[in-house]
Amino acid sequence: MSLLKLYARDRIGLFFGVIFVAFYVVAVLAPWIVPSDPLETNLTEGLLPPSFAHWFGTDQFGRDTLSRVILATQVTLQITTEALLFALLLGVPVGMAVGYGGGLADAIVMRLTDMMLIFPTIMIAIVIVVVVGPSERGVVIALGLSQLPNFVRIARSATLSVRQESYVEAAIAAGASWPAILARHVLHNIAAPVIVKATIALPGFVIGASSLSYLGLGVQPPTPEWGQMLNEARNFLTRAPYLIIGPALALSLFVLAANLVGDSLNEALDPKLRSRRLFPLARMRRRSSAAS
Amino acid sequence: MVRMIASRLVFMVVAGLLLLTFLFGLFHAIPGDPARLIAGDSAPEELVASIRSAYGLDRPLGAQYGAYMGKVLTGDFGVSNFSRQPVLSVVGPRLLNTAKLTAWAMLLAMVTSLLLGSISAMYWSGPVDKGVSIFSLIGICTPIFVTGIVAIYFFGVYLRWLPIGGMTTWRHYIMPVLILGFAQTAGFTRMVRACMIDALGRDFIITARAKGVPERTIVFKHALRNALLPIITFFGLGLGSMLGGAAVAESIFNWPGLGRLMVDSILTRDLPLTQGCIFFFAMIFVLVNLIVDLLYRWVDPRLAHD
Repeated sequence: MSLLKLYARDRIGLFFGVIFVAFYVVAVLAPWIVPSDPLETNLTEGLLPPSFAHWFGTDQFGRDTLSRVILATQVTLQITTEALLFALLLGVPVGMAVGYGGGLADAIVMRLTDMMLIFPTIMIAIVIVVVVGPSERGVVIALGLSQLPNFVRIARSATLSVRQESYVEAAIAAGASWPAILARHVLHNIAAPVIVKATIALPGFVIGASSLSYLGLGVQPPTPEWGQMLNEARNFLTRAPYLIIGPALALSLFVLAANLVGDSLNEALDPKLRSRRLFPLARMRRRSSAAS
Repeated sequence: MVRMIASRLVFMVVAGLLLLTFLFGLFHAIPGDPARLIAGDSAPEELVASIRSAYGLDRPLGAQYGAYMGKVLTGDFGVSNFSRQPVLSVVGPRLLNTAKLTAWAMLLAMVTSLLLGSISAMYWSGPVDKGVSIFSLIGICTPIFVTGIVAIYFFGVYLRWLPIGGMTTWRHYIMPVLILGFAQTAGFTRMVRACMIDALGRDFIITARAKGVPERTIVFKHALRNALLPIITFFGLGLGSMLGGAAVAESIFNWPGLGRLMVDSILTRDLPLTQGCIFFFAMIFVLVNLIVDLLYRWVDPRLAHD
């Protein structure tokens, strides 16, 4: 676990790593830690300003915004994790197969991903929602498919770099079949870079899910989602501007933490990337060290 | 060069035809009866039947495909279910509005990021660099609808300085352009900074310093020119994602553009309009890609000989 050790040396990475993990803990424990029922309406307590009882106030139906933000954390993280797994489970085998096999299949798959990469992922996601319909399941499919070309490419290029290794040649010489080589030798050696790249893609998934829900094409009310809550809060900007605080803070903080965690993981894997990180550290003051 | 442009134009035509085929497939892939989709959920059965025969939806799929392609290639994208106007005449003005918004935002993002990124690389790891990095970090981590809503509240509702929606006067442009531009500036600045740090570490910079070239000339002439190549590619990709972001920004600021039209058409289940919007959006992306390719070759003449 030298990767984790390298990671732990990075203080900013460590700090935001704790926040990142905390979000997942909140997501898992959501049903037990919400102060009040996030779905039960109580019209006599509508649009209350923040108080000790309701930290972020209550929405137009009298629902506690803090409780809704906590439930939304669970909804968002569940959707994005599912979409990420979807893209990984579909993209990595395809990328490995065409990277290892090469030839016509490789050329066709590369042209297809080239074409998809011309379009922004949010546009592809919107088009997919037209077919599968606006729902939680729709967001998972739309995000997973729209991010698929990136994952195919990551797995393919990682496979290309290990294909020429002597242990692969040895496995071929020993008479192993190509699915066995891919599963046993290639997958094992590309796992770390692929997982790190997946972490870097995570903020994009979260923003994608929230954007779709903000536009009304994702998670449908009454289920709360950060983007969808902001969309509702927009209608009450004059009367209850405090409604935007909760979801906006949660969304931005999580995306920030996920970005910095991905950054630090990436750097632990490849220290040459230091000049590209989001937040510069004092210890890279000497210009010559990053001139590579 | 001419051959390259010609081959890319052929690619565009092929991409367009593929796209139309895809849209035709899309229309039929949506679960449910296409005629019912056009008529709306509450339409009586006779109307659905008449639409089915009027649109030729009772004919075999191959004949429908031929008819669809024939119509589209002559500029007939059908009629919007909602406004009953031809799709092309609805989409046209909206396309222009989106172009106005993204052009200003793109200009803002390019100028700001080139300046901030270069200065950040010049004073690398100093307080200026840290400040710029925090600024771009905020931009990358706050989605456009968060910054948009906060801006609407602060400048529109609280201070009452700026209108919160529409596009009638120049004052309506300020917030959408700033917000959409800011979202891209963050990513651009980060990229410009990384490329400039890279370029400033090269040997020819040391030579220029040894010759006594002023620092400003070194940064903005020697280094920037060499860093420009990856930057232009990134700007091109950024223009694409900005058009994607425009769909969200237009919805926030009630900007009558193509992105909002597309989202609205999906929400009102106006399928012919959705198809038209997707087609024009996609063709813009293909066109942007072509222009970036040409620019790339213009900046780096070495590539033209490949």
